[in-house]
Amino acid sequence: MKKINNNNIDTLSKKDISWRLIVAVICLLIIVLASYSCDDFVEVELPNSQLTANGVFEEKTTADAAMTAIYSKIRDEGLLTGGSTGLSHLLGNYTDELDFYGNAQNETTAFYNNALIASNSNVRQLWNSSYNQIYAANAVLEGVENSINLPIEDRNQLKGEALFVRALIHFYLANIFGAIPYITTTDYVENQQAKRVPLNIIYGSIKTELEEAVLLLPENDISYIRVRPNKYACNALLARVNLYAGHWEEAVSEATTVLNKTSMYVFEQDLDKVFLKESTATIWQLSPAFDSGNTLESETFNFTVGPPPLSALSTHLAEAFNAGDQRKIHWTKTVSDGTTSWMHPYKYKYSNTGSSVENSIVFRLGELYLIKAEALAHLGELSNAKEALNQIRNRAGLNNTTAQTQTELLAAILQERRFELFTEFGHRFFDLKRFDSIQSVLSEVKPGWDTNDILFPIPEIELNLNTNLTPQNPGY
Amino acid sequence: MKKILINIGRSALCYAFYFMLLFNVTHLLANNLSIEYNASKLLSIQQINISGTITDIKGTPVAGATIQIKNTNKGSVSDVDGSYTIAALAGDILVFSALGYKSKTVLVDNQLTINIQLMDAITLLEEVTLNAGYYKVKDKERTGSIEKIKATAIEKQPVTNMLATMQGRMAGVNITQTTGTPGGGFEVQIRGQNSLRFDGNRPLYIIDGVPYASDPIGTGINSPVLPTQPSPLSSINPSQIESIEVLKDADATAIYGSRGANGVVLITTKKGKEGEIRFSSSISQGVGKVTQFMNLLKTPEYIAMREEAYANDGITDIPYYAYDINGTWDKTRYTDWQKELLGGTAMITDIQSAISGGTAQTQFLLSGNFNKQTTVYPGDFGYKKGNVLLNLSHTTENKKFTSTVSVGYTSQKNNQPRMDLMREAVSIPPNAPALYNDDGSLNWENNTFNNPLRNLEGLYEVKLNDMIANMVLSYQFTDNLQLKINTGYTTLNNNETTTIPSTEYNPAYGLGAEFSSLIASQATRESWIIEPQLNWNKTIGKGKLTALLGSTFQSQKGNQLVQYAFGFTSNSLIYNLASASNVYTLTSEESAYKYQAFFTRLNYNWQEKYIVNLTGRRDGSSRFGPGKQFANFWAVGAAWLFSKEKVLENSKILSFGKLRASYGITGSDQIGDYQYLDNYISTGINYNGVIGLQPARLFNPEFGWETNKKMEVALEAGFLKERVFLTTAWYNNRSSNQLSGMPLPGTTGFTSLQSNMDATVQNSGIEVTLRTVNIQKDEFSWISNFNSTWARNKLIEYPDLESSTYANQYVIGQPLNIQKVYHFTGVDPQTGIYTFKDVNDDGMLTGIEDKTTIKDFNPQYFGGLQNQLKYKDWQLDFLFQFVKQINYNAASYFGLPGSQTNQPVNVLNHWQQSGDIAPYPILTDGSNSEAVAAYYKYFESDGAISDASYIRLKNISLTYDVPLKKYQCKLFLEGQNLLTFTKYEGADPEFKSAGFLPPLRVFSAGVKVSF
Repeated sequence: MKKINNNNIDTLSKKDISWRLIVAVICLLIIVLASYSCDDFVEVELPNSQLTANGVFEEKTTADAAMTAIYSKIRDEGLLTGGSTGLSHLLGNYTDELDFYGNAQNETTAFYNNALIASNSNVRQLWNSSYNQIYAANAVLEGVENSINLPIEDRNQLKGEALFVRALIHFYLANIFGAIPYITTTDYVENQQAKRVPLNIIYGSIKTELEEAVLLLPENDISYIRVRPNKYACNALLARVNLYAGHWEEAVSEATTVLNKTSMYVFEQDLDKVFLKESTATIWQLSPAFDSGNTLESETFNFTVGPPPLSALSTHLAEAFNAGDQRKIHWTKTVSDGTTSWMHPYKYKYSNTGSSVENSIVFRLGELYLIKAEALAHLGELSNAKEALNQIRNRAGLNNTTAQTQTELLAAILQERRFELFTEFGHRFFDLKRFDSIQSVLSEVKPGWDTNDILFPIPEIELNLNTNLTPQNPGY
Repeated sequence: MKKILINIGRSALCYAFYFMLLFNVTHLLANNLSIEYNASKLLSIQQINISGTITDIKGTPVAGATIQIKNTNKGSVSDVDGSYTIAALAGDILVFSALGYKSKTVLVDNQLTINIQLMDAITLLEEVTLNAGYYKVKDKERTGSIEKIKATAIEKQPVTNMLATMQGRMAGVNITQTTGTPGGGFEVQIRGQNSLRFDGNRPLYIIDGVPYASDPIGTGINSPVLPTQPSPLSSINPSQIESIEVLKDADATAIYGSRGANGVVLITTKKGKEGEIRFSSSISQGVGKVTQFMNLLKTPEYIAMREEAYANDGITDIPYYAYDINGTWDKTRYTDWQKELLGGTAMITDIQSAISGGTAQTQFLLSGNFNKQTTVYPGDFGYKKGNVLLNLSHTTENKKFTSTVSVGYTSQKNNQPRMDLMREAVSIPPNAPALYNDDGSLNWENNTFNNPLRNLEGLYEVKLNDMIANMVLSYQFTDNLQLKINTGYTTLNNNETTTIPSTEYNPAYGLGAEFSSLIASQATRESWIIEPQLNWNKTIGKGKLTALLGSTFQSQKGNQLVQYAFGFTSNSLIYNLASASNVYTLTSEESAYKYQAFFTRLNYNWQEKYIVNLTGRRDGSSRFGPGKQFANFWAVGAAWLFSKEKVLENSKILSFGKLRASYGITGSDQIGDYQYLDNYISTGINYNGVIGLQPARLFNPEFGWETNKKMEVALEAGFLKERVFLTTAWYNNRSSNQLSGMPLPGTTGFTSLQSNMDATVQNSGIEVTLRTVNIQKDEFSWISNFNSTWARNKLIEYPDLESSTYANQYVIGQPLNIQKVYHFTGVDPQTGIYTFKDVNDDGMLTGIEDKTTIKDFNPQYFGGLQNQLKYKDWQLDFLFQFVKQINYNAASYFGLPGSQTNQPVNVLNHWQQSGDIAPYPILTDGSNSEAVAAYYKYFESDGAISDASYIRLKNISLTYDVPLKKYQCKLFLEGQNLLTFTKYEGADPEFKSAGFLPPLRVFSAGVKVSF
């Protein structure tokens, strides 16, 4: 090679040299570039699809979206979903409201057979989604707290709603799991070691928070369709909490606050209109996910041909209705295949409609009359109690109650709640527990029932991850 | 100091790149001048024309062999008949070489005819060069642990996924197929589970120098037919792969820094070769069947079981819903549902063509492939894949400038039912009614039969298009200095749809298209990489020093749109989002990942006897928050070729001996993008006209790299001229600073948090590979390759494990992949109910206290035995794969014994009356709640776990080379998963996804012609 290059090709070799120079410079550049790790290069911008946590609470629209996301979660998953994994369906099967016909592998089977075990994934899902909803509520509370630009009325609105949601979820959790952690922060360090809090303290916290929310929330309905809780939704929940806690006077007073607000809330006399989304008896309901959609309840409970794909109304409940009870006609439906027939809850009647007709109602006047009746009965004000109870009976086409004594009246109220509130987020289960008659009633009709079934197991994985949650509920 | 050049950044690099291109074009022109000059110069020297024939040991002509004049660029190539001509000088030395043969050198010395017989290259070690990513290394001189399989082994397997070709052939590499449905995924683990996160154990895949993101691109909700989301790695066509190298130890992987912790898989595609234009084409047709069916109850046994269950439950009045035995269904009818639903034959067609050739300077290869695979399900489903690969390389006459370009494009289309039929095939009562009515419509038997074929109404469709382009430019400044720039670009486009049409539902429900729904996902992923590198070497003393300096700039962007639509005007418009009454966007997100690194390698090779190899890398990744983005990784490796020591040099027995060791640190940044940010994302879900925003995660801005310290010591020894070659390696890898989604109790609002934990996971093991040339005769040869891995995974350290969130999941001193379960103590002879050990004797079975039996789901050992037999024109290859492991047994497929689901025949041996000792419990339809609860607990006990070891004839191939003069013609028969020896009673011991279709048994026959 050297021989070739040595003579008369000076120009070429000169060229070669200049090329080499250029290349050498380039190499140097690359190496220098490489050796100085430029931090800039590895920093990426936040994608368009995400917002920083702080940014969300500086604007009303995004802050609102953070709050409504919680309602959509409540509607779609966890305790209050109308789907088959929510309390309406599960506790219906767990008690004497529903019979389960679905696939044996379906987790509802374990509820129906009262054979829950601590590793049941449905139970875990109830627990996790509830605390996820509580986390989101706490995040709203903290976000609003740290917000600089959000106007005071929006802050109050969001804070009130978040407190309401936090209280509501804790209330249901406490009633199915017993003593549970009461979570008021987003700090995971603290929350991962949370301890179980006794029921009376939970009720105390719920009441304090709701009383604060009552002051923060407006009387009017900012959504115009009752899908955002207002002051009266807090009163309604307070009425229920006080009833469960045995604070009868407060239960009466909270229920009365709502019942007296007749400019907003009117008792709907037509059974077929109680569950329509425009019903004026509704205090708080959950908006459907789709404009043309209705409730998940209708998807879960309704069927048009037998056998039932999931659950049907239990024969015990079906047979228990008094003759002439219009609710049996208007709120249930019979499906027959010619030889066998089944009934299903038919409070929510519509599935896919052009525009939505029904929303999933969480609080309605019917319950408040019954709360008032029960609390008054406990206070010995029997005639006032009967009056409230008769509101419900009369609408159902039944005569006034014949109960005379306090015991009789309370029994009549329990019975009435059964027919009025069936498959609405597990009222039956909670009522039987409150009346202390769960053992006697359910052991009659549920072969798998035993005394320990009054509480669900704490999800096994939770106990594994947080030793502060031990001991497990009895029997699991 | 550090900030000086920050803003020059990428743009400066681009300039450098343009300069390079410009430089090369002009340089090519300059080269042409010198070519002419050289040619005129050479003419003046006397040279002779030499010709001859090249044959192999059998006398068959060797086509495409290269004949090169030593120390020059001049050369020639042999023709189809093995003949060649070349002009050379009397003093020149000719080097004859061909793939698969030992090369031979001959001095010209005025000979005019030189006939050459090439010997088969049995002991290839001398010549084998391994691709170590940024550099190449001779096998005998490597200091690291690298496994390799070549095209010859890859091509003989009737599989479409390149990961399948590696199964059982590489020590330390554990691969399991997750489903037999075409287009499904594989799980790959190189030297065990390093990360506590399941997702954090993927190796790094590099195709021709371009990193290829192997993480799934679809969405989980979209593919219920597949147990795991498929990886876009399925795009790579095995037949276009020249070799796959797997880098395992620190020495080999530290140069990949933060991405090397889980090993590196290097895929090299085929390149054109110098020589006449060659055309080759092959076509094969295969059939696939389910490997084995489970042995289930026949109708009479089933009916007896059901009746006994009701009798046990004290129910005399059989409920109306027990259609199987209350008279609704024919109690004598029998259908083998496994045969009916999974008994089909999958047809597998594969067509390939390639054209290649070139001169000494320019070579090209163009190949195309088409593959089609149907399923074993009834109905018309299938997987299609087509791809094209173009490869061009050019070297200037003076060999200074080399450029290589390769572009591969793959298009895949998969069309599968929405749901896998496996679970229903084993659970439907054997007396269930016929699938079809007389008129051909689905039979719902008056609404009593949930027809399994409804599952075929919904479709899962994937269209995946994918392009990988790569360009390497290199310039040799001097013999000692080379500049190389590797650039790459990948783009990928994935379209997935799942339909849930109203026809999935019983028509009696009267649900129309307004109940049909569609999930559509569109995703793209795009990445580029630039890696300038400088190679330098110098002879220092008796040794040679090689240095490499390089840098990486990589960027990846992805976005995904997932939409859910329902309420269609007609089922025939189900793919038209505009026809849906409701369309919701479930995901609309984009992500960016940027990565930068600076790497180096120093290698000193003293007389090919003592070798030291140092590698290092400084890495920065956008996946970590500010201040946590950069980290350093390094490794040192050394080798001692002791067989070159004087004492052993002339040993007749030991022909090769090497001791090598390495130690170093690698890392992992496989945690997804943006995890360090506290932010809100859209829920995509409507509430009263507002689409919600939700907290994306519990955030932790503090997390950093996971580090993995790897140590290895290995001995490589060849005996009897390397007819026996044994490699034994011991490794010990420790992963610490574990970056993991630490499980959190639900009370935190989430179930996990990304953080670095002070935990150490150790993977250690011994890998043995033994290669023997058992028989080497002229007409008959037999070569065996055996590999086996004994691996142990262990949680070494976890400070304060007791009070951590992992307290009940992990045990110090035990593997990560364990399950703590109840101890099954058999069926109670009195009650017939499953019993379990009450460890703390409190009279109750509680999870924490009583689940104390530990079961390790890692394989104890695994490996393969590969054999190659050649007799004249026949070649037989077969691979036995073996794994020693445990797994959930057949019980996990079945419902409660006695309920309305079929059962394995073993259930016949159940408890019937007091005093019975039986493996299966009392039959119940579900009323016996104690039995039901015990049945659920059974799955959480060691009773449901049993030995799942197996030996499997994974692959067999028989090839006949038709002795033709003009062209080559090969006939071949191939088989996959032909025989399995196992005690396991589930569907398939190899795979872990209960309820999904196991891998198929495939037979394939084909022909390959080339000329």
